[in-house]
Amino acid sequence: MLRTLKVSTLALAAATAAQAQDLPQAGSDWFTAGQAHIDALLARQPNTGRAKNVILLIADGNGVGTNYATRLFDGQQKGMLGEENVLPYETTDFHSALVKTYNINAQTPDSAPTAGSMNTGVKQRFNLINLGENAIHDDCGTVAGNELKLFSEMATEMGKSVGVVSTARLTHATPAAVYAKTANRNWEDSVPEGCTAQKDIAGQLIDAMAAGTIDFAVGGGLRHFLPEGTERAGTGGRRKDGVNLIDEATGNGAQFATDTASFNALNLDGSAPVLALFDGSHMKYEADRADDGEPSLADMTRAAIEYLSQNENGYYLEIEGGRVDHANHDGNLARAVRDGVAFAEAVAMADALTDDADTLLIVTADHEHAIAFNGYCGRGTDITGLCMGVSQTGIKHSNEALTAADGLPYTVAGYLNGAGSILRDDADWSGARPELTQAEATDIDYLQEALIPMTSETHSGEDVAVYAKGPWSQLFDGTIEQNVIFHVMNYAVNPK
Amino acid sequence: MFRRRFLALSAGVLAAPARAADPARKIRTLYEKGGGFSDDARSLEGSRLTLQGFMAPPLKADARFFVLTSRPLAVCPFCETAAEWPDDIIAIYTKRVIDVVPFNVRIEARGVLDLTGFKDPETGFYSKMRLVDATYDE
Repeated sequence: MLRTLKVSTLALAAATAAQAQDLPQAGSDWFTAGQAHIDALLARQPNTGRAKNVILLIADGNGVGTNYATRLFDGQQKGMLGEENVLPYETTDFHSALVKTYNINAQTPDSAPTAGSMNTGVKQRFNLINLGENAIHDDCGTVAGNELKLFSEMATEMGKSVGVVSTARLTHATPAAVYAKTANRNWEDSVPEGCTAQKDIAGQLIDAMAAGTIDFAVGGGLRHFLPEGTERAGTGGRRKDGVNLIDEATGNGAQFATDTASFNALNLDGSAPVLALFDGSHMKYEADRADDGEPSLADMTRAAIEYLSQNENGYYLEIEGGRVDHANHDGNLARAVRDGVAFAEAVAMADALTDDADTLLIVTADHEHAIAFNGYCGRGTDITGLCMGVSQTGIKHSNEALTAADGLPYTVAGYLNGAGSILRDDADWSGARPELTQAEATDIDYLQEALIPMTSETHSGEDVAVYAKGPWSQLFDGTIEQNVIFHVMNYAVNPK
Repeated sequence: MFRRRFLALSAGVLAAPARAADPARKIRTLYEKGGGFSDDARSLEGSRLTLQGFMAPPLKADARFFVLTSRPLAVCPFCETAAEWPDDIIAIYTKRVIDVVPFNVRIEARGVLDLTGFKDPETGFYSKMRLVDATYDE
């Protein structure tokens, strides 16, 4: 009570201080909005409760730059100029920090050790998941003795339920980090001959479900659970060991779904584990998804929380928007931002269905991409389109595309490398930029121009952000190592 | 002049297709969300049409077909363990042995739309939609 009184007094003091200054800009909307922001920060109360539930939402490849593009695209889709838009996790309800994403042996990280660091509290080596620093990538012989304890296992020991949701394959790096320990992230349905220290990643998921470490698993990747030569829901199996993991899971009592209809028919009362695999490989990009084929990430989030909330001891839930990353790899910003918006909607869903008093909600990315932004574009320039000039008067851009030294227009966003390069293999890697129209640039299939020709655009080591609300979210501050995210979760569920 | 373009023009084997009145279509107009054939695709079956896209790296040397993709086929080592075909692709069966175009160069292919499933006997590649008797150019 005393503390509340002090904070309120401070807020009042801040508001009146500006008025007392009698500044000429005090009547500006920008000024009053700035004051309101300060008031909101002053009104924050540190949440020192115990986190019954922890939800970790990761948009794969959604670094600060990519998130900026999604913010503008989302705003522009809603009729704003875009720059002023506030994504659901960018409000003053959330504490935030910058995150350093490098791996033990990689300046440019990959999604396996980054997700692993969030699930174990230690940085890991490139391309492997949840093994200690002495493990070697692709070396099964270094698995034994290097297995790390997972947050999901710790949550299970506390009597909590555990869920994992992704629009990528459930055996892909980020979701796998919730339950798997592997010397190679690509061992999704098999391990090398003679490797007995670990199972393939799909096998580890089914084992975790049987052990009660994973209760709710929803995403893509059906092919890795079916034997080669068999087919289910239009997907051919890839398992060379002949094991049908779907039969194994359902034999252990799990419910199973493969499309929106069977997903909607799942019993979410918490009495039986849930396994849903919607696609042979990754689920569809949001831009290509049909509601009657696959649920949205927000729908999967809603079902996960409904299911996991049945446990009075709480839950740990990791949710991945997996395909922001893939669209960036394609150099196709149009799909990246649409999956970014779908992720933001999942965050809003998770926030709406939970209580800040007992749920730590963390929103972050695992790494950034080689994305960059040109200038000097006017306000409201379509973030996926051509860079339009700044208007001398008014606010909105001039609607005249700026041109570069070659006399040609250019897009706001570009990639440092990737398939969008205009350099040609059959022309000694030379090339010329085309006369690009706005219609071409904003086409859903357009690839932003890239400098260095590569078949797939790369990650970058640039920072990502982390946003959080709920118990002990105030521990996120400044610039942190990625593995610190685990330590906040770990502290929040068992504060001293 | 680009080497491939020079070869194509000099040899004349893959000369630019005669331009019809119909504009080049995008592959996505032939598919519905979820992967089924669109109404457009069904109404165009058996017709000669032009499609925009990119040539995926051919599956074998001296091939008579290639896969046309909506976007350059990015092969991402961190997404996939092997090349993955997107949903919105179409096989292009050409009149002549294909002259490879770099994967990041936009092309137009013209041929007769065939919606019957077909497994290529040499490569085993299964296509549910094809352009046959096709030519292509940049």
